[in-house]
Amino acid sequence: MSVPVMTVPGEPPAPLSTAAVRATGLRKTYGSGETAVHALAGVDVAFAAGEFTAIMGPSGSGKSTLMHCLAGLDTATAGEVWLGGTDLTRLRDDELTKLRRQRIGFVFQSFNLLPVLDARDNIVLPMQLAGLRPDTAWMDSVVARLGLRERLGHRPHELSGGQQQRVAIARALLPRPDVVFADEPTGNLDSRSGAEVLGLLRSSVKETGQTVVMVTHDPVAAAYADRVVLLADGLLAGELSDPTAESVLDALRGLGA
Amino acid sequence: MRSVLFAQVRAHVARLLASTLAVVIAVGFVVATLVLNETARSTVLNAVGAQYVGAAAVVTSDDGSSLADDADAVAGLSSVAAVAPSFETSIQAAVPGRTGSQYLFVGTVADDPALRWQRVSDGALPDRPGEVAVSDRARAAVGDVLTVTTYDAAGDESTSEVTVTGIVDLSGDPEAGLYGRAFVTPEQAREWGAADPLELRVAAAPGFSDEQVRTDTAAALGDRPVEVRTGSERAADAAAAMMGNTTALAAVLLVFGTVAVLVAGLVIANTFAVLLAQRTRELALLRCVGATARQVRRSVLGEAVVTGLASSTIGVAAGIGLAAAVSALAGGGESPIPLTGLSIPWYAPVAGVLVGTLVTLLAALAPARAATRVAPLAALRPVDPAPLRSRPGVLRLVLGLLLLLPGVGLMALGVAMGQVLIALPGGVLSFLGIVLLAQRAVPPVVAAAGRLAGRFGGVPAQLAAGNATRNPRRTAATATALLIGVTLTSAFVVGAASTRATAQAGLAAEFPTDIVVSSFDGALPASLLATLEDLDGVDRGAAVISADVTGPDGQPTWTFGVDAAATEPVLRSTEELALPVPGQALLPEWLAETWAVRDGDPVALGAPGQQRTFTALVVDSGQPLMLTADDLRAVAPETGLGELWLRLTDGEPDGQVGAVDRITDVVAEIDPAAQVTGLVTLRDQIDEVLDLLLLVVTGLLGIAVLIALIGVGNTLALSVVERRQENGLLRALGLTRGQLRGLLAWEAVLVAGVAAVLGVLVGGAYGLIGAASVLGEIGEIVLSVPWLQVAVIVAVATVAGLLASVLPARRAARTSPVSAIAG
Ligand SMILES: Nc1ncnc2c1ncn2[C@@H]1O[C@H](COP(=O)(O)OP(=O)(O)OP(=O)(O)O)[C@@H](O)[C@H]1O
Ligand SMILES: [Mg+2]
Repeated sequence: MSVPVMTVPGEPPAPLSTAAVRATGLRKTYGSGETAVHALAGVDVAFAAGEFTAIMGPSGSGKSTLMHCLAGLDTATAGEVWLGGTDLTRLRDDELTKLRRQRIGFVFQSFNLLPVLDARDNIVLPMQLAGLRPDTAWMDSVVARLGLRERLGHRPHELSGGQQQRVAIARALLPRPDVVFADEPTGNLDSRSGAEVLGLLRSSVKETGQTVVMVTHDPVAAAYADRVVLLADGLLAGELSDPTAESVLDALRGLGA
Repeated sequence: MRSVLFAQVRAHVARLLASTLAVVIAVGFVVATLVLNETARSTVLNAVGAQYVGAAAVVTSDDGSSLADDADAVAGLSSVAAVAPSFETSIQAAVPGRTGSQYLFVGTVADDPALRWQRVSDGALPDRPGEVAVSDRARAAVGDVLTVTTYDAAGDESTSEVTVTGIVDLSGDPEAGLYGRAFVTPEQAREWGAADPLELRVAAAPGFSDEQVRTDTAAALGDRPVEVRTGSERAADAAAAMMGNTTALAAVLLVFGTVAVLVAGLVIANTFAVLLAQRTRELALLRCVGATARQVRRSVLGEAVVTGLASSTIGVAAGIGLAAAVSALAGGGESPIPLTGLSIPWYAPVAGVLVGTLVTLLAALAPARAATRVAPLAALRPVDPAPLRSRPGVLRLVLGLLLLLPGVGLMALGVAMGQVLIALPGGVLSFLGIVLLAQRAVPPVVAAAGRLAGRFGGVPAQLAAGNATRNPRRTAATATALLIGVTLTSAFVVGAASTRATAQAGLAAEFPTDIVVSSFDGALPASLLATLEDLDGVDRGAAVISADVTGPDGQPTWTFGVDAAATEPVLRSTEELALPVPGQALLPEWLAETWAVRDGDPVALGAPGQQRTFTALVVDSGQPLMLTADDLRAVAPETGLGELWLRLTDGEPDGQVGAVDRITDVVAEIDPAAQVTGLVTLRDQIDEVLDLLLLVVTGLLGIAVLIALIGVGNTLALSVVERRQENGLLRALGLTRGQLRGLLAWEAVLVAGVAAVLGVLVGGAYGLIGAASVLGEIGEIVLSVPWLQVAVIVAVATVAGLLASVLPARRAARTSPVSAIAG
């Protein structure tokens, strides 16, 4: 194990009222009749503010689908998704879009950045879309923490994969969103860059109280989180607090993955 | 590979539409031009040559001597069935229900049915004296009794009455609308004072060929001063004499057709380039699975041939349809444009298919070569667009400059010398140069425009500016197609405006008076002017007095006296028609030569004892000697009213024709010997032809612009497909659907707007240069820029570009944000 496992002193699970995001009775069905696929078959889950949660589960278990529904990228077939006091399932597309600009941050596995824009423009893009000026001091501190100061004028194709992911994290953190979603953010990185990215996510939670929800396949990555939520066949299949790589592996073996 | 080829064509029918349309239009234009030209030729042949087409041979007097005695000699030949001598004269005829009378030109109806060429639309041809058939222009009906006034050689008047038995259909004859025609038996024509015949039309006896009749007739007339031609030869000669300017028009149209083909070629090349760019992966995959470069090239070129053949065939049909429509629209009634029915020469469809297929094939060559250079590996990774500084880019730049600079030089020379034949190749060269350079020039301009747009349009406009310049080649190709269309349209619109302004000024200069009322004996009633000025449609008039003035050679000379103050407001232009000042004598060139007088010399005019000396001004005009009215009265004891010059109220051509008719009626009633010449009709007809031409050509070019806009839509659709992930990411990050549509709209507007503005600038320059060099041959040039139309072109192209973005934008907006992550 080359990456040290960080353990955080145990905290009680957040009560529903203080949850940054929560879903109740969430269902997502693709297709209909015989060929219907229940990607989410009724999920109740909550993510506390200021918590770093990892979602894990076998391939095809519905992790990405859950994240997309939570982030307002996709519409659920049934159920509710609450971001703070807002029910996302009741919003129209434009309202959802505007909400995503300021209250939700994203880091994807790949293709995170617009090729026509340089790093700085990519970072401020959501705020610009919202017609807001980024707080300079905050931006400086984010950029400095992510070590991007020298790279701001570069276009994505001039950056390494790890640097691109860091730009994406900076973009996600800049508007101080309610929650940052990351779908396999380290999937395309070597282990050193991956550890760097995970460390940055971890420290943003720790230092600024950012809420982060991350989908991952990697038990080592999951060990950076405060909590691991396990998914199987579109249903919750348990959860782990203060995970370590070993405990996550054990739990996954239990799911037959 | 063939199966792949057909599968390709089938799969890409929608995308091939742009190039198909381009070929269809170019081929259609060429075919329509050829067909219309042939139709005009055969129409004129059938109308002007109508009297000859049915004759086996025609005998024409060479020296104006009578052929009356030769008719019998020819009629006696065994190969000849009948001979019809042509008697011609003119009469004044009063139609019941209309005041006044009109001039009718009288021709003969042959005794022999084989030589009767007149088609009647109503009634029948006359059989005996006292009967007449008239053309539509005479505005009489079958059964009307016309009162005819004729003058014999001594000038004595006699009156007779004839009954109208039929109406002759002269449609297709360009002169049918200018004056009325009457057809009577030879006896009646002679009675009306027809001179001896100068032409004999000969019918063949059964079993004899035209050529045989011609030979026999020529032999029989041996040493007589006559020309003997077959009927069809004579008809062709008559048509050729009439068609002089129609063939010039056809030449202009064909030059334009060439340009259209050239443009279509460029549009096709662009479309193919875009299509192949879209298919890079597909082609590379073909290479991966074992297709050789040659096979790929063959497949691409085969696709071009199939496209070319199919669309040229459609183009031929479209061209024939267009020609039929133009013929039906333009050739009806008393139109000055000689078009009846449709004559399709065999070479029109052949040329259409050949030109269309060849152009498509040639246009596809370069993209096909590029396609063969696709590496098999390109299937596995996206290829970067070749940077502009690559070798072909530099080659393009050098080649573009090599074409542009000499082209501009030639055009400057053409304008300076007023020689369109020098300016035209210059225009073609420089335009090709511009098309090549556009690849390099357009992207920076789009980028600059994008920065400007970013200030106003917010994030979507900024992103659009970035996107529009991202694939400079594709942007340039798209913009160039539109640029070509807009350039040509505006060149034509600006050129036509200048041509028309110049033509109008030229016509006004050449025919400064709308209407001239004249009499042979210089004795119009003094009250006529006031009567005519009161007529509806007449603006004002001026009296021109006339008298015989004794010249320096002692001979009487027919002289006009004009009052400059009263005359000037009547004239449309005094450029070609100078008016005398007191003490000045305007001498036409022939008179100055006779009197051996030069500009500025003194000339003594008047009867001995009454002589006064004038300063000569030699003018190039068809007018007689001209003095001021006061000067003329001083040197001639007795003056009469020689001519009345009238100016019509400006307005509709139809109203002006009505005014001409009213004037004719009034004049004929008051003074039947007076003649009314309405030059205004001629001016209107020329205007009408210009208008029609402008409409047809602008319409065609407008379609070319539309094709280019389909190209814009094509390119945007391609971008949408390619940027699916990116657009999804943008949506995820907070770009609303409306903003995404706005992004694509901005992109379209940037590309289309830049192309439109550049095109209008370049095209306007070409239009002015073209007009200057074409009209420089003719004389004074009036340059005119139709600002409104130019603004409309820019607006239409830009708005249409916006519309072209609607479908791709809708598709893009449907992209769910999830697709960014789904990959
Ligand atoms: N657009 C779609 N149409 C139909 N079925 C879909 C669609 N998207 C996802 N699914 C199905 O929904 C289920 C859950 O998919 P999801 O992408 O959420 O899985 P995942 O847990 O993220 O898997 P992985 O670990 O492989 O990314 C799968 O069975 C998948 O086939
Ligand atoms: Mg997934």
